[in-house]
Amino acid sequence: MKKLVLVLMFALVMTGCGKEKADDSENNSTVVENQNNQENQGSESKNDEKTDTNKVTEPKGYVFEYNGVKIGMDMEAAPIIAALGEADSYFEAPSCAFEGLDKTYSYGSFEIDTYEQDGKDYISTVFFCDDLIETPEGVCLFETKADMIKAYGEGFKEEFGMLVYEKEGMKLKFILEGDEITSIEYSSTVLDVQ
Amino acid sequence: MEEKKLSRSRKVLTFCVVTIIIIGSLYLLQKLLVPKYMTDIVEGAMIAEYYDEEHDHDVVFIGDCEVYENFTPALLWEEYGINSYIRGSAQQLIWQSYYLLEETLKYETPDVVIFNILSMKYNVPQNEAYNRMTLDGMKWSSSKVNSVKASMMEDEKFLDYVFPVLRYHTRITELNGDDFKYLFHKDKVTHNGYYMRVDVKAAENVPKGRPLADYSFGETAYKYLDKMTALCKEKGVQLILVKAPSLYPYWYDQWEVQMEEYAKENDLVYINFLELQEECGLDFTTDTYDGGLHLNLSGAEKATKWLGEFLSKEIGLASRRGEEKLETAWKKKLDAYYEEIDRQTKEWQEKQNGGEK
Repeated sequence: MKKLVLVLMFALVMTGCGKEKADDSENNSTVVENQNNQENQGSESKNDEKTDTNKVTEPKGYVFEYNGVKIGMDMEAAPIIAALGEADSYFEAPSCAFEGLDKTYSYGSFEIDTYEQDGKDYISTVFFCDDLIETPEGVCLFETKADMIKAYGEGFKEEFGMLVYEKEGMKLKFILEGDEITSIEYSSTVLDVQ
Repeated sequence: MEEKKLSRSRKVLTFCVVTIIIIGSLYLLQKLLVPKYMTDIVEGAMIAEYYDEEHDHDVVFIGDCEVYENFTPALLWEEYGINSYIRGSAQQLIWQSYYLLEETLKYETPDVVIFNILSMKYNVPQNEAYNRMTLDGMKWSSSKVNSVKASMMEDEKFLDYVFPVLRYHTRITELNGDDFKYLFHKDKVTHNGYYMRVDVKAAENVPKGRPLADYSFGETAYKYLDKMTALCKEKGVQLILVKAPSLYPYWYDQWEVQMEEYAKENDLVYINFLELQEECGLDFTTDTYDGGLHLNLSGAEKATKWLGEFLSKEIGLASRRGEEKLETAWKKKLDAYYEEIDRQTKEWQEKQNGGEK
């Protein structure tokens, strides 16, 4: 009898401990954690500490620059948006169920998307809208694949039909139609699915 | 000898009692720890509500937020005598829709199933939190097992769905009043699956679609759409595909062509409400509560009215008004529906008048 009780208690404790490890490695995406994010907004919590480790204050990977403002992925959005000045237009999209807004700021030649975590907005995407701007490495829309390779090398991967350069946890994505670049996008990997 | 027998019986009895206590405690612990979805994120409570229904619907809607926020069964009943239910959940993926349909058809055989096709854009599992909101509410059956298997992200485990306590045990330090209040019962969060919002936020600056490298819907998405089509044909249910009138996420022309072709090839009715905005009388300055993603009550009633006309006149669904059992059930439901409209309208008006601090 005692053995049975001990075995059951041991099993419960072990499943609990095992899962704790799994939780620690997750990226704040479960129901429980999403709920915690709402409940703990503005307060110090274990969750805050965990997600804060994802955040960068310095630009990482490939970084877009406009009028001297560096726009890196997963950087806090507020100072960047303030430095860029008033956007031409603004759109916000709440998720189907969870709190928090995904925001899009349009600046004519490019758009910036942000995502919300723990009450703060972070940069998730910079998307090129026309060929009046170029990347710091000198590539703009409607140039060729050869121009892209000259600037960034051969180290791209093909993902869902895009050519992707991955660097320090961010992605620079190109879409080509024939030989012509038709889309350039800097993208955070924080919200990536598998 | 007698004493030995008695001692053995006592041991067996004690064993049984201790086992029952341990299992009962674990069950209660699990009930306590799983999210209740009664405030804030109510979308997680939607799927389970279906089981409390009388399974006698003429129309069942299946799909994501574009069905449960854009069509209202109460109006279909009141104006057209059509008894309908929405089996919707947040970011419901197409394989989840298929297995929900499969499960629903074990309970009942409606005349029509309406499926919103936005989820064709997803070909792989997306997010555990959304998975949970669709899957945890389902009763255990082969449909749920298969839906869980099809939906799990790489780092998810099937056992965590069987014993949710394994997944949610860390909530033990964050339990709140709801966890105790809704331990054994839950309030209704929808009106026959419809999630009501009466507030208004006009659609402005809705972004256009950004170029995609490949506009083709994925193989997995098509596989499950094929399965839905086949299942409905097998059961004699008319499947109607719809694209709800939501302005965002963007619906690409290339996607539209694929759906039109699919409907034609499979002899299905396909209704794109984005093209019917004028006919429905939708005005996105007043008929949405979140800038064009979802309709508010005013918008949902307009879209539903168009649908009701179509189902009555084109599909030939007869009004069931006058059926005593249904009238009684709907009387109660409509009372709750109008009560909710009053409550939300008052709240919205107060907010408008600056009542919100």
